[in-house]
Amino acid sequence: MTAALTVTNMSKSFAGPRVLDSVSLSLEPGEIRALVGENGSGKSTLIKILAGFHLPDEGSAEVEGEPLLLGRGEASEALGLRFVHQDLGLVNNLDAVDNIALGVGYPSFRGRIRWRQERKRTRAALRDLGYEFDVRRPAGSLAMSERTALAVARALAPRQNTAKVLILDEPTANLPAAEAERLFQLARRVADSGMAVMFVSHHFDEVFGLAHSVTVLRDGKHVITRPVAGLNEDQLIELVIGRQLEQVTHDAKAAERRDVVLQVSGLGCDVLNNVDMVVHAGEIIGIAGITGSGRDEVATALFGGIDRAGEVTINGAAVPKLRPDRAMAMGMGLVPAERHANAAFMTSTLRENITVVGTSLHWRNGILSKGRERSDVAVWLERLDVRPRNSEFTMSDLSGGNQQKVVLARWLRMGPKVLVLNEPTQGVDVGAKSDIHKLIDEAAADGTAVLVISTDHEELVRLCHRVLVLRRGKIADEISGGRMDHDLITAATIGRDRSDAA
Amino acid sequence: MTVNEQTPLEREFDPKPGGHRAPGRRSLAATLGLDRFSGLYVLAALILIFALWVPSLFLTATNFRIIAGSQAITAMLALGLIVPVACGAFDLSIGGTLGMGCCIVVWFQANGHGFILGIFAAVAFGLLVGLVNAFIVVKLSVDSFIATLGMGSILSAGTVWVTGGFQVANGISPHFTAIGQKQVLGLPLPVYYMVILAIILWWLLEYTPAGRYLYSVGGNPQAARLAGIRVGRITTGAFVVSGVVAAFAGVMLAAELGSSSPDVGVPYLLPAFSAVFLGATQIIPGRVNVLGTLIAIFLLATGVKGLQLAGAPGYINPLFNGLALIIAVALAVRATRRKA
Repeated sequence: MTAALTVTNMSKSFAGPRVLDSVSLSLEPGEIRALVGENGSGKSTLIKILAGFHLPDEGSAEVEGEPLLLGRGEASEALGLRFVHQDLGLVNNLDAVDNIALGVGYPSFRGRIRWRQERKRTRAALRDLGYEFDVRRPAGSLAMSERTALAVARALAPRQNTAKVLILDEPTANLPAAEAERLFQLARRVADSGMAVMFVSHHFDEVFGLAHSVTVLRDGKHVITRPVAGLNEDQLIELVIGRQLEQVTHDAKAAERRDVVLQVSGLGCDVLNNVDMVVHAGEIIGIAGITGSGRDEVATALFGGIDRAGEVTINGAAVPKLRPDRAMAMGMGLVPAERHANAAFMTSTLRENITVVGTSLHWRNGILSKGRERSDVAVWLERLDVRPRNSEFTMSDLSGGNQQKVVLARWLRMGPKVLVLNEPTQGVDVGAKSDIHKLIDEAAADGTAVLVISTDHEELVRLCHRVLVLRRGKIADEISGGRMDHDLITAATIGRDRSDAA
Repeated sequence: MTVNEQTPLEREFDPKPGGHRAPGRRSLAATLGLDRFSGLYVLAALILIFALWVPSLFLTATNFRIIAGSQAITAMLALGLIVPVACGAFDLSIGGTLGMGCCIVVWFQANGHGFILGIFAAVAFGLLVGLVNAFIVVKLSVDSFIATLGMGSILSAGTVWVTGGFQVANGISPHFTAIGQKQVLGLPLPVYYMVILAIILWWLLEYTPAGRYLYSVGGNPQAARLAGIRVGRITTGAFVVSGVVAAFAGVMLAAELGSSSPDVGVPYLLPAFSAVFLGATQIIPGRVNVLGTLIAIFLLATGVKGLQLAGAPGYINPLFNGLALIIAVALAVRATRRKA
């Protein structure tokens, strides 16, 4: 039998080290293959080469024995390679029929689109994948798994040639567990129809639940391709990160325990499910998890930016949901992720950016004193070493790291009881990063209960007394003391069982 | 803003004061205040041009008195409009609210209820319009442009209903017209009301936490919410201010005219918008503000009046205001682009 897809000695470098180093693999028709590896291991590069986005330095590929002309999107398409990228590429305000037409056009009859027939075909295509929903609803209003199904239906929509290989880039990254299961069934149907399926995944349960075989990439090199049968999670983790994880026992001398400040029980939202945590005064707790694990939502759910279930208390007093102003008044501070969208007032001065919280501190006798604000802010610009150190500069004049320091100053000035930081050093250079870490340490030393949410696992190791690991909306592991190690955190986020933590 | 252009890259390595007040390298234009006070220079130039062109008509005390008096109501309307625009919302219903304020206070007098009650009713109506606008924008999440455009049309219909479609001038108390027509030190009273309103709003926007919150919501509503600002409440307050001020301006208009007629408010809408947006290029560039708006009002009025005296046809007024709105917004966009 001819292989559905063969990749031979594929290499690629972008100005420097090879991100893909002589990788070869082959897929049989009907096979489901998982492609796994750490961030930067070369998975995306390989997929982008196959899709024709990148031209490789060396190497070749064949689809059912036909050589693939590399670097051309149309060539990949013509030979029967179909892609569903991580962002799905749907137009949210168009319905299912129109979204599919974006890929293949509308077959028309005497220059007219026959909508009824088009809808029927779309429904049939979705039914083949195991989905039924109103095809006239805009894509943006569909559930995530329905949108994924629509993206797959579009990829598989009939064209001049038949689809032979379906390649999915992290298809479940944004899916809650139940919806992910539906997607598995979809992938099985596609494979049963004789196509080869290759998917990139960070979820090991997906690899074991869905794939027949797995290919591991590490540092751009092919490590192994083997059947999933007979492999266990520990072995797979070892293959992915390249060495055995140390089995370290709990460190008894955890952070000096003081009073409980933040208590969270049963925290839930669309992606979070029954999360409990306790943070003591002076303690720095980390939260890790892959995209879609609920990591990102913890911060805004606690602060009241998004709706939530469950109880959040500060020093025993309940914080109402959806009321950031109340959370703030009760002593909580939030440095949200994505500074530009969620935290910075780009056309305002540094002074206004800092005093937007606690504005009334300098409001006396009916006058908001800019002079007092200036001297107050100057102290914080000095303490955080913000450059340029002039409270009247506009936020947009500053570099990203300095902007982040300003946002941090906004909350540190208030001396919060609880400080929630989401990606505190995102897009920040090394120097500013270490400054920010010091400031977080100092805040904790002053008795603030700190929660750090980060995808930078080194950062969590550097800062935290304990790290909670989220997987599919639940706390899957807790890492502390001597077990603290960024590889171990990474392993826990992608699905290692908490056998040794129990 | 300084006048010399910089690429984003240059700015990153050579951070410069973006807006106002900050020291740094200054160009000649900045030293002269061209960045912040260009409107005053243009105003001076206009006065000079018309003084030379039609000296016998333009350069008279009466003429300046007319300009000040005729602009008091537009200026009040524009001042009220600053507040919603500062928090990122449009209020296109202020023309209709002004018209309704005018019609209500006249209706009360025509029906023998006295003007004091009429003034309270008109202002209360303005407050109600503000609350309804806010409800549609905040609770129903309708874009403020659409919501207030619709509201403006509804209010126009209201003015026809209240007046019966005709000019109403009966039963107007002379005490009432005195409010709008009496002169103190050669200027009609509405000019003084306008100045008082300007001072109050200037204090509100520059010297209260509420003013800071308004600009924060206008700058980045999501960041404002996550900084604990109650965005819905601020927006509601903003619509209430513009509604109340517009209704009060309508009362002043009724007092000036001694009558009301349907659709009396509509011609005031565009000049108010022109002034607010042109004002955003002055004093605090990129930000709507009280002083800038006042400069813009008198700049536009002087230009129109001068051209009229020089013999320009009657349509010069809407033409001038329309051009000014477009140019003002183009300049404001330029200013914010350079900042952000």
